[in-house]
Amino acid sequence: MATVAPAKKKNVRINGCVAAAQAAKYADVDVITAYPIRPYTATMMALAQMVANGELDAEYIVADSEHSQLSIAHGASSSGARVFTGSSGVGVQFAYELYSPISGSRMPVQMMIADRTLDPPGDFGSEHTDALSTRDMGWLMGWSCDAQEAFDNHLMAYRIGEDPRVLLPQMVCQDGFFVSHITTDCELPDSGQVKEFLPPYKHPYPLDPRHPVSHGPQIMPEQGPPLQLERARAMEGAVPVIEDVHDEFARIFGRRYDPWVEEFMTDGADVVFFMQGGHAVTARHAIRHMRQRGANVGLVRLRTIRPYPTDRVMQSLSKFKVVGVVETNMGLGSVSSGGSLYAEACAALYESDTRPLVLSFMAGMGGEAIVLKEFYWMTQKMLDAQKRGAIEKRTHWVGFEE
Amino acid sequence: MSTKGTHIPDWLQVPFAGITPAPSQKKGQDLFPTGNWRSIRPVYRDKMPPCNNACGTNEKIQGYLDLVKRGKYLDAYALIKEDMPFPSVTGRVCYHPCEQACNRGSHDEAISIRAVERFLGDLGQALPKDVVKAGPPNGRKVAVVGSGPAGHSAAYQLARLGYEVTIFEKSPKAGGLNRGGIPDWVLPQEILDREIERLVELGITIKTNTEVGKDVSWDDLKKNYDACILAVGLTEPNSARAEGENKDGVHYGLPFLRDIGMGTSTVKLGPRVAVIGGGNTAIDCAREAFRQGAQEVTMITVEGNTSEMPAVPEDLHDMLEEGIELMHGLAMTAVKGNGKVDALELHPARFTGAINASPIAIDREAPAVNFPVDQVIIAVGQHASLKWLPDEFKTPRGTIAVDGFGRLGKTNFFAAGDIVQLGSGQPLMVVNAVGDGKRVAFNVDRVLTGETLEPRMIPVDVITDLKRMNMTYFPHFPRVKQEMLEPASRRRTQAEVIQAYSEEQAVEEANRCFSCGTCNACDNCYLVCPEPCIIRADRSNGLYKILVDYCKGCRVCIEECPTGCLEGVPELDFDTGVVRMDTAFAITQGLHGRQATQLRELPNLPPKDIENWK
Repeated sequence: MATVAPAKKKNVRINGCVAAAQAAKYADVDVITAYPIRPYTATMMALAQMVANGELDAEYIVADSEHSQLSIAHGASSSGARVFTGSSGVGVQFAYELYSPISGSRMPVQMMIADRTLDPPGDFGSEHTDALSTRDMGWLMGWSCDAQEAFDNHLMAYRIGEDPRVLLPQMVCQDGFFVSHITTDCELPDSGQVKEFLPPYKHPYPLDPRHPVSHGPQIMPEQGPPLQLERARAMEGAVPVIEDVHDEFARIFGRRYDPWVEEFMTDGADVVFFMQGGHAVTARHAIRHMRQRGANVGLVRLRTIRPYPTDRVMQSLSKFKVVGVVETNMGLGSVSSGGSLYAEACAALYESDTRPLVLSFMAGMGGEAIVLKEFYWMTQKMLDAQKRGAIEKRTHWVGFEE
Repeated sequence: MSTKGTHIPDWLQVPFAGITPAPSQKKGQDLFPTGNWRSIRPVYRDKMPPCNNACGTNEKIQGYLDLVKRGKYLDAYALIKEDMPFPSVTGRVCYHPCEQACNRGSHDEAISIRAVERFLGDLGQALPKDVVKAGPPNGRKVAVVGSGPAGHSAAYQLARLGYEVTIFEKSPKAGGLNRGGIPDWVLPQEILDREIERLVELGITIKTNTEVGKDVSWDDLKKNYDACILAVGLTEPNSARAEGENKDGVHYGLPFLRDIGMGTSTVKLGPRVAVIGGGNTAIDCAREAFRQGAQEVTMITVEGNTSEMPAVPEDLHDMLEEGIELMHGLAMTAVKGNGKVDALELHPARFTGAINASPIAIDREAPAVNFPVDQVIIAVGQHASLKWLPDEFKTPRGTIAVDGFGRLGKTNFFAAGDIVQLGSGQPLMVVNAVGDGKRVAFNVDRVLTGETLEPRMIPVDVITDLKRMNMTYFPHFPRVKQEMLEPASRRRTQAEVIQAYSEEQAVEEANRCFSCGTCNACDNCYLVCPEPCIIRADRSNGLYKILVDYCKGCRVCIEECPTGCLEGVPELDFDTGVVRMDTAFAITQGLHGRQATQLRELPNLPPKDIENWK
């Protein structure tokens, strides 16, 4: 809680990992718990450097595994500290036990995720399955698509998660490599702006020997349901907070994000991509090209998946004839036999009077890039479905079909 | 919004994220009774420590050692006085069966219990007023015949119960064996005098120079008293059954000591004295002989070696230190001399049965040993003089016939002490007589108040196995030795041989006590319980409680109980305090609690009501 060297607003070129580390520094975190795993490692390295250089006064704890890393984060947060941690891929999975306890005890721990494909085999590439598999554990969750957005999302996530009406942990996700390791322009704010935006963290019942309380005691079975209801209320209660915080962020920093979905060239669009994360940057290029060639294609990028903006997704996607979900995650044996985002999209659309056709594209698997050519191919599939008035099949494996 | 319109009823309101006040020692963890996880319940169950059990009068030895440890000397003295009227006496003379039984003996060295008892007894002697008071008078009169250990103890307990007690003592001074059988250098007379004074302070009348059968008759006792306790002891010395025992210079152990004790002795010992016998009285006689002027004292025993002798090892050791010679495996067959002894005839001999009171086989064919002496003191046991007793109450072995409660038939006469215990298998010693006197006094009380007599309680669980305690808590620590006078200087004086403990020594020695099987409020359980499942109102035996609603039965307290007082008892053995699944949920009035209540009421509801039942 002590010292962030006063900083003037400046433009830098940094990658997503460094942007996350910078955000933690600006948030003046008290405790950092770390355990190396690529690509997240670059964030912990950057933070280690900041602490070593005296730029950031924080406890920097290198754990013996991700499980310990998250356990320490839990404990540190319980004592009232602002905590920053992070991981990737199987590291995210190894800490799985802690996700529900942390949100259940309402500790606003922040975790940076730089996605990494789950084993096997060892693969550094980005796939969202690592973080998405924890999506129902009570953490606020969303994807950034570049370093600037990552920086901004980290700051906003602290503000949202630490709000007394919410008190929930946050996963701030970015694609490994595509965001985490590609440098992009990023504006770092004036420290005074951050001070105005993000008040110091204060948990209502921290662990304090002077005022002893029991965290996580055993309860009777009948006391479980009300606690689960409270957690559900907190997750839903986060919705207006998220909206307020985005407004507040725009006021102070001058960058306005739609908290739920980014619509790109959707005016007059018949078919749209529905996706999260860094591949949206490629999608935007592809869409511009295809628009010039007369295809009415657009992009709806989901920015926050937990809490899931069901009504907003329905409202947005109902405007189109065909929706192509770009998964970048594995949902083996799931609704679409492809990824899990399809089910989220379809469920939101179920009550719509003007349901579009929905396709699922398995693209970017194993962390492979989704190249322009593939976006064109996917657009063609959507246009075919529009013409036909029916889908050919629910899921297409991009790159493996004619 | 799925949570829209939800509300949590009052009875299910939980603190934010279940965060609750810290578990308290009073209530434990407040939210969830975990007692139904338990299959083993820790139970504080005090066992009988072996010392208490071995003590003839069952002094609460562990109890007073614990009090001494904490500096509560007066409480300790009061506790000892429950069972023992004269700790200052037994603190000097007792053959301490407690120390033989002490579990510490198999660890390093037994606790010097007698020395601590003496420390407390002397403290009591110094009090201007004793802590013990006579009970409110109940108008009943009891006569006690004999003022030895058994009579003293019986009279003391009866006075505490409110009886008007009269002691008849045939000697000029009260004290019986305490005075007549124990030399001054073991028990100074003024110590005993003070204890006799304490009896008088309790309102007891002591009539000395009053002999039953001569000055007071059986019928007098029967007529004038509600009950009578005969504690006349064994006053008559046994003969060695040797030829010529009637010669001058032949003395008998007990009268020899008694006359010295009463100050009426006329014995002048020559330079060479032999003592016949291998028991404790013989040892006292031999050591007294030095103090009465003898130059060479020889003890002649039938026993083949010292370990067979029915004597306390340390007394034997102290005797040998003083320079007394021992001759084993010999019996005196004749006292030689013309009118006065000048030599003894000795023949090889051995016991044919068990040691002590068994037939002696004397090899009269073997060449006799001629052992020149100036005097011989025969100390081979005592018997009673019971001419005054109606024949129906005499046993063939010359003792008084009593039932299991010390009662003579259906009469209100009772008997206690050596006069009952001789030949019963019970070793004859002061503390056993005291215990017998105490128990008989309580039996008298029961008979006179119309209560049923209860057989003597046999302790169920005497803790003798060190494995039942946690020995890691007891580092080896040597016994605090009592100072003693040097053998060369002490053997010519009546000065007390064994010296008293200082306060520091008494505390140090009491600190060595394991408190076998008995809670001594060490607080270990309270500290090691991983959850606050143990509460105590105060650090005191009996005030520790297990919160059975919360205790999960992890056994940590049981394993870490140094004394072995905490036991794990299978939960199936209990029908109270059991936290079962339904009661676990029913402890607070929640959903399951309500359901449990409703289910209990279900059989009482008529069927059609059940259809509408919510």
